[in-house]
Amino acid sequence: MIAEHNVTHAGSDPGELEEFTYDDQIVRYFAYATIGWGLIAFLVGLLIALQLGLWQLNFGLPWLTFGRLRPLHTNAAIFAFAGNAIFMGVYHSSQRLLKTRMFSDVLSRMHFWGWQLIIVSAAIMLPLGITQSKEYAELEWPIDIAITVVWVIFAVNFFGTIWKRRERHIYVAIWFYIATIVTVAVLHIVNSIELPYSFLRSYPVYAGVQDGLVQWWYGHNAVAFFLTTPFLGLMYYYIPKAANRPVYSYRLSIVHFWALIFIYIWAGPHHLLNTAMPEWAQTLGMIFSLMLWAPSWGGMINGLLTLRGAWQRLRTEPIIKFLVGAVTFYGMSTFEGPLLSIKAVNSLSHYTDWTIGHVHGGTLGWNGLLTFGILYYLVPKLWNTELYSKKLANVHFWLGITGTGVYMISLWVAGITQGLMWRGLTAEGKLMYPDFMETVTRIIPLYWVRALGGTMFIIGFCIMVYNLYKTMQSGRISEPQKHKARRLVSVTTLNASELGSKHRLLEGLPMVFTVLSVIAILVGSVIEIIPALVVQEFVPNDKKIKPYTALELAGRDIYVREGCYTCHSQQIRPMVSETLRYGKPSTIAESQYDRPFQWGSKRTGPDLARVGGKYPDMWHYRHMINPREIVPQSIMPNYPWLATANTDLDVISRKLQVMQTLGVPYSNDEVKQAKADALRQAEKIAAGLRAEGGVNDAELEQRELVALIAYLQRLGKNGGVE
Amino acid sequence: MADNTPHDPHVRRMDEILNEPVLDHEYDGIEELDNPLPGWWLMTFYGAIAFAVVYFTVHSIIGDNRLAERDYQQQWAAIEAQQAEQLAAQKAGLDPEALAAEVVSMAAAGKPIYDSRCAACHGGAGEGLIGPNLTDDSWIHGDGTAVPVYEVIRDGVNANGMPPWGALLSEDELKQVTGYVLSLQGSNPPNAKAPQGNKVN
Repeated sequence: MIAEHNVTHAGSDPGELEEFTYDDQIVRYFAYATIGWGLIAFLVGLLIALQLGLWQLNFGLPWLTFGRLRPLHTNAAIFAFAGNAIFMGVYHSSQRLLKTRMFSDVLSRMHFWGWQLIIVSAAIMLPLGITQSKEYAELEWPIDIAITVVWVIFAVNFFGTIWKRRERHIYVAIWFYIATIVTVAVLHIVNSIELPYSFLRSYPVYAGVQDGLVQWWYGHNAVAFFLTTPFLGLMYYYIPKAANRPVYSYRLSIVHFWALIFIYIWAGPHHLLNTAMPEWAQTLGMIFSLMLWAPSWGGMINGLLTLRGAWQRLRTEPIIKFLVGAVTFYGMSTFEGPLLSIKAVNSLSHYTDWTIGHVHGGTLGWNGLLTFGILYYLVPKLWNTELYSKKLANVHFWLGITGTGVYMISLWVAGITQGLMWRGLTAEGKLMYPDFMETVTRIIPLYWVRALGGTMFIIGFCIMVYNLYKTMQSGRISEPQKHKARRLVSVTTLNASELGSKHRLLEGLPMVFTVLSVIAILVGSVIEIIPALVVQEFVPNDKKIKPYTALELAGRDIYVREGCYTCHSQQIRPMVSETLRYGKPSTIAESQYDRPFQWGSKRTGPDLARVGGKYPDMWHYRHMINPREIVPQSIMPNYPWLATANTDLDVISRKLQVMQTLGVPYSNDEVKQAKADALRQAEKIAAGLRAEGGVNDAELEQRELVALIAYLQRLGKNGGVE
Repeated sequence: MADNTPHDPHVRRMDEILNEPVLDHEYDGIEELDNPLPGWWLMTFYGAIAFAVVYFTVHSIIGDNRLAERDYQQQWAAIEAQQAEQLAAQKAGLDPEALAAEVVSMAAAGKPIYDSRCAACHGGAGEGLIGPNLTDDSWIHGDGTAVPVYEVIRDGVNANGMPPWGALLSEDELKQVTGYVLSLQGSNPPNAKAPQGNKVN
């Protein structure tokens, strides 16, 4: 059968009628990958959620600790599950919206296999502790390069498809795909500039607050341009297709698209509110987050109101349920986001589980449900059959939204409870809950409730996998259908009415459209990032603060490797309760040599910015081997392997050399003698530990734990100048 | 903006269910309506922009980006004044003999506090571990009488990593645990850590 499409712009000189097919095999590939990686991402998430209630669940294995698996969970959820879902939907919808096969089947396959290879290497390296410990940008430099290459392949394939399109104007879904592709490229490349010191390890070029600002400009916009804009594009295709209704408002599409991409890029600093970051940047982060509310809701409105005239199908059609559920969660998350960006609210919510609850409302509710809706739509179509069971899909839907709800509510309660306990003061001006542990044990029951919510979500997902498997089995992959459409004639031969005017004209000129999108996202980026790299207040050069000694640096790299930042912050905010608990507020200068910065965004355990000198070396030694010996109710895992593994000091000179290249004032002698200096400091610490008695280790000075202690004891001490 | 009638050249037809104008766009069967931006939505957008302008003006232009910092400094100054007051009251209020008698009578209640707070560093029987032995008659701070022991427990020893328990325990609890620690004197537990500090007897 040959379908001939409407030729809506049959001008005076219509192009030649051409026959073509769509590449649906690549869509099936990405569908398999979405399902497979989704399961892994969710299961790892469940495991680390359970570890918060039961610390023993790493089974004594370094590569199963929370600090190493949490990055695996986030990377798998974002880049493997959501990433493959995006590609599945983009490859399926773009071909149809542009009336052409993808630009190159070879590039499509290179994109697919390249991306899966990146995920596999990430799944191996992150548990091994090969990480940069920058959230959602943990992957080390060789993978960063691979991501860049694969993304360029995707971009060439996508823009090539636009170039050979048979549809004059590009639809709003394509606008969102364009913004996604160009912005992710900019974000990834700028945030990944790093200098390797070995085959798999590197230091970022940015330090301290600069690294923080660049990282959260990236990190927040990973949410914006990886979890939002591409999914809005998918929403704009699959909701009208599934509901068979026209999009609510073309004008709203235009306004909310441009407002969204222009404003979103500014919002990153709201991840660093009430920190040492200069206040003007915090203010920009907050006010742009507030202005983002309406543009986000523009997408929700356009999605939901497209269903007018088809609401009755919400009762009978699981696909519509999933899509509506997803858009509803999107609306909730994009209301909550601006709320959490208000400095006063953030002073309560930051570092607590409220943030985690918020994120999962977006990822489980919005990205998850939308992806499931699309899978329920696509699999029967791509396998030429009907969905195996609507009933099972309905069960999945209810498990999915109930699970997400249970998850969010439990962490709202946990986050607000702990936030209030942290800041509670007595009439005498003392902390009401000075014992940090008390604020942890109070919320552990809620961690179990959260795990229950996650389990429900995963059971629903497994039901979907079964349902889709049965659907695939009952169907068959047929010969690609042939389509016909007219080739586009040159723009120069068109008259004004065929080109359209105003925004319509722009939609006919995708390359101009792309350039304007790039400009829209660069404005906020340049205004926020450039000052951070050049303005004096961002580039503290406090000569009194000494760089890390060789041993401290080696210890810091162990801290980075173990992912300590996933549970411990290093940033004391200017709040009375924090000064009482942790000491005076952190300053910018204190992290001027921190590559990467480790300010953190979650306090499952206490802040460590001024932990140096607070406890004796022996306290740390015993605490790292078994935290419960010191803090009976602690939920931190044991790290006994740090007391038996040796610090790699062969590479320490090279590390200092790279730091020197990056501007850290190490002398050439210090670089040369780094190993000897490190050993000397380690011997001193080891001698102290031995003198306390109870440590029988002939090679104590070689141990990683000694280097880590050197680093921890340095925190807040700044090398002698407090 | 296009007027909402089917006579608009860009309007293809009226939607059969909603009777709203459908634009002459079509992509893989997807059509678009020509609805205006919802008024309430536009108002929230304008409202947020207006708020942003005002907030930025107040905080970053008039407030010189120092409002939060000043707030914090004021609040912290108030806490410091409170702390100074309490310190003065504590200094004046400690009577060595009265305290010594009081803590002895409260010692039994100090055991559970000792077990949960002190044993990790000083050992379950006070034999010393990370921190010094509490059962011998050598003392690093003071002479082993109630006042210095009470003060060390309350204020901690920052340099050696002893936390100030005054922040966590009530005055009575501090006295109870002081009494319990003093009751350990001369108990000669196994694995005792070597004496540190000055011998007092």
